[in-house]
Amino acid sequence: MSDMRDRYCIVGVGETPYTRNSGCTTRQLAVTALKHAMDDAGLGPDGIDGMLSYHGGDSTTSPAVSSDLGLRLNFYMDCSGGGSSTEALIGIARGVIEGGMCHTVAIFRAMNGYSEVRIGGTGARARATPRESQLLRMPYGWMSAGQNFAFTFMRHMMEYGTTSAQLAAVKVAGSKHASNNPKAFYKQRVTVDDVLASRWITKPLHLLDCCVETDNATCIIVTSAERARDLRQRPTHILGVVGRVSKPRADMHYVHGPITRVAGYYAAPMIFKMADVTHDDIDVTGCYDAFTFTTMLQMEEYGFCKKGEGGPFVASGALELGSKRPNNTSGGHLCEAYTHGMNLVIENVRQLRWQADDYCPNGEHTYDYSEGHCRQVREPKIAMNMAWANPATGSALIMRRG
Amino acid sequence: MAEYRGMQLQVAPNDLENQGYFEAARRHRLAMKACNACNRLRWEPGPGCPWCQSLTWHWQEVSGRGTIYSYQVVCQAIQTGFREWAPYPIVLVELDEQRGEPTADEALRVVMNLVDVSFAAEKQENVAIGKRVEVTFIDLDDFTLPQWRLAAEQPVSGLWQFPL
Ligand SMILES: [Zn+2]
Repeated sequence: MSDMRDRYCIVGVGETPYTRNSGCTTRQLAVTALKHAMDDAGLGPDGIDGMLSYHGGDSTTSPAVSSDLGLRLNFYMDCSGGGSSTEALIGIARGVIEGGMCHTVAIFRAMNGYSEVRIGGTGARARATPRESQLLRMPYGWMSAGQNFAFTFMRHMMEYGTTSAQLAAVKVAGSKHASNNPKAFYKQRVTVDDVLASRWITKPLHLLDCCVETDNATCIIVTSAERARDLRQRPTHILGVVGRVSKPRADMHYVHGPITRVAGYYAAPMIFKMADVTHDDIDVTGCYDAFTFTTMLQMEEYGFCKKGEGGPFVASGALELGSKRPNNTSGGHLCEAYTHGMNLVIENVRQLRWQADDYCPNGEHTYDYSEGHCRQVREPKIAMNMAWANPATGSALIMRRG
Repeated sequence: MAEYRGMQLQVAPNDLENQGYFEAARRHRLAMKACNACNRLRWEPGPGCPWCQSLTWHWQEVSGRGTIYSYQVVCQAIQTGFREWAPYPIVLVELDEQRGEPTADEALRVVMNLVDVSFAAEKQENVAIGKRVEVTFIDLDDFTLPQWRLAAEQPVSGLWQFPL
């Protein structure tokens, strides 16, 4: 297992603009993101022979995308899944290359997440006739992600005294970072009071505790360290990856164990051992922020603060650029775009190249984190992603600068 | 088939996971799946026993009483049929049966709405973690939907409520 440490790299990243009205198909979005990632890596059609994607019935397929770009594939899989898929597929890409099935894998996620299939569960998803276990959910008006996770969030507030104002600091940090990100969908800085004054979605979630919904495609290219040497960018080495680590009773997380415990409880010892790093080695994090609560819960469970102290920890401003634990420096899902996780990994790749695309002139970073300026962490060497599917399932990834 | 808040409610003939549950509800009883081998109850009702892996089971009626373990109050409904019902509470209730078994953190936790005597959404000022509840039943055309309602018992320990 550990002999794969450091031997695979992310060599290309790309995305489409983050909008709410792409005006095109997910196929066109995917092809565009893939082309951008190929250009970033300096790879032509012969340079990629593997493809992975994930979807919730709302995307296009690898055969379509590869054909559009003239790629002949030796391997592809289009998997079902949302949050925490990115890291899991990076792990699979590493495995299939190691197994000799192909040499370079492009991973994509394409979604018209606002204009077609909204992740919040509204639109077409809300009209279905319930079948099987849905009969225990939909007749109770219980079906969206926020509604599904809310019991965990509420119980954390009860057990540990966590407050809405503390959680709001996660959104505040994201908005500060997004204000220095030309790609971000929401660039406006917000305050704790703005979050608390936003309308209720389902208590304990305000509107601004919930991520944005957007149309976009994103792409990451994985290959061996050997091949990475000859490509355009400084490679980002994969030190460790764990995919979709789960609690018992993964589909019914609320029936088992302490419900404030999330999958990171099981993933953390695996990932830190595999990557052979400690918390102090990590310079920048990407912690899944479908909701302010998901970031707080995972920060706790991965040991960046003590269990139960996530509220005071995020409220301290620790997650902001310039503080000790800069997190989601692009603005994340709360402010940049909702991509089911891939933009959070793309951001950390750019951070490790010391190439965050902010407002600094001529690529010379100023480290001035005030509005409209820099969002590059000062010379980071190691980054970590903590990804969330739901309270019971998550993935993690640790990368180093090549 | 019954119409409820814009949905067609029925249990498919091959849906053995849920059939016995909703048949019991029709008789105004709450039933859990019970393992024939280890006798443990399980929820949600799957085809295998998560404790001993036995594939044989039967339906067993339970008291239908429990305690609110967590909850939420939906203010912006996702489903069209729930818009006029919001704000409505959804509660996660621990049944009295099998609490703390087989480990201290286990329980049968059942999700439904909290409704009042006329089946309206219970007011949020009346919802709190720790409150005692009992099952009640909404009879539709040929389908019965179980729901929770507040019980007239005193809570065993202190209550906790999200700030109103
Ligand atoms: Zn059993």
